[in-house]
Amino acid sequence: MADEFSYTDEELIARFQDGDEQAYVELVNRYRNRLMTFVYRFVNDIEKAEDIVQDTLMKLYTHRHYYRNIAKFSTWIYTIAGNFAKTELRRKKRHKVTNLSQMGFDDREYQLPSVEPETGETAQGHFAEKKIQMAIQELPLHFRTVVILRDIQELSYEEISKIVDVPLGTVKSRINRARLQLQQSLKEFR
Amino acid sequence: MDRYQFEDLISDYIENNLSMNQRKQVEAYLEENPEAKQQIESVKQVMASMKSMPGISTSAEFMNNLNRHITAEKEAKSVVKSTRSFAGYTPLMASLSAVVVIAVVMLGLEFMPESSNQATFTPAMTEQQINDLPVLPPKPVLPLKTNDSMLAESEEDSTNYDEDTPVKRNFDDKIQLVGDKRP
Repeated sequence: MADEFSYTDEELIARFQDGDEQAYVELVNRYRNRLMTFVYRFVNDIEKAEDIVQDTLMKLYTHRHYYRNIAKFSTWIYTIAGNFAKTELRRKKRHKVTNLSQMGFDDREYQLPSVEPETGETAQGHFAEKKIQMAIQELPLHFRTVVILRDIQELSYEEISKIVDVPLGTVKSRINRARLQLQQSLKEFR
Repeated sequence: MDRYQFEDLISDYIENNLSMNQRKQVEAYLEENPEAKQQIESVKQVMASMKSMPGISTSAEFMNNLNRHITAEKEAKSVVKSTRSFAGYTPLMASLSAVVVIAVVMLGLEFMPESSNQATFTPAMTEQQINDLPVLPPKPVLPLKTNDSMLAESEEDSTNYDEDTPVKRNFDDKIQLVGDKRP
């Protein structure tokens, strides 16, 4: 098992392409929560986010041979998840489903109940998280994607540039604009 | 430096990505504009808050659901594979094989030498048997008749028809009506 953890993502996907299904399980374990965080912050709906992560990891399974070792594995998998998330948001927009911004946070709390009673500090933390989450939902999609990838997922500018397929300068500009917009929104919440 | 130029450089300033010259310009602007300093602190706070947001985990059923989907995918693939093949050949392979066979046959016919087109068979009789066959008498040679001599021998000439004395032919003995009792 110790050897498995020393494999890079790219080595694991190569092994999976050669038929090693254990390598797939390892990739799933490495990425499912990272992708879940990214997608949930993007679509703001815990059930939809889990469905999208399932779809992403299924696509990894069925389209394993589409990956070419010219890009980082993380870039590839985030691109797939981001595309699914955008498709879901467009679909949701078409169907005009409302009030999901309020439901998402409550659902998450229902599925992951806190074992300990909330202290004043944690309650304040949840309140702050909810405010930021709401502010993120107000961002245009092209700002939302990049700021989540940078400030929550902590990816490099270069990697984000490859994931969203726009030039590095544009990515930097969008992230800066997104931060300023968030700062303005959160100032109004206070 | 104006406000817009300053705002464009906020993230680079916070992340320390500015050149020395740009950094000095920003710091000079901050000295002159206390609200800009406050804005920098505010953006830093937003970035820190986002970084400290808790990660979201998948539910306990996630892996079971994923395994179920994968099993279903494998089964669907195996069904498609088995229904799409006949005796181990896919429709595409079977079609290609048929085309190749037809092409080979056509080319074979095209390039086959002409002499080989003649029917070959094993003679039913040996040479000796052929020699032993009885010799038939020669057929009498009939004189060759020309059209003129044939016309001269003809009893009647249909062109010599005499309208005044029409020939009456008696067909009574040749015609027998239905119900006629005559012998």
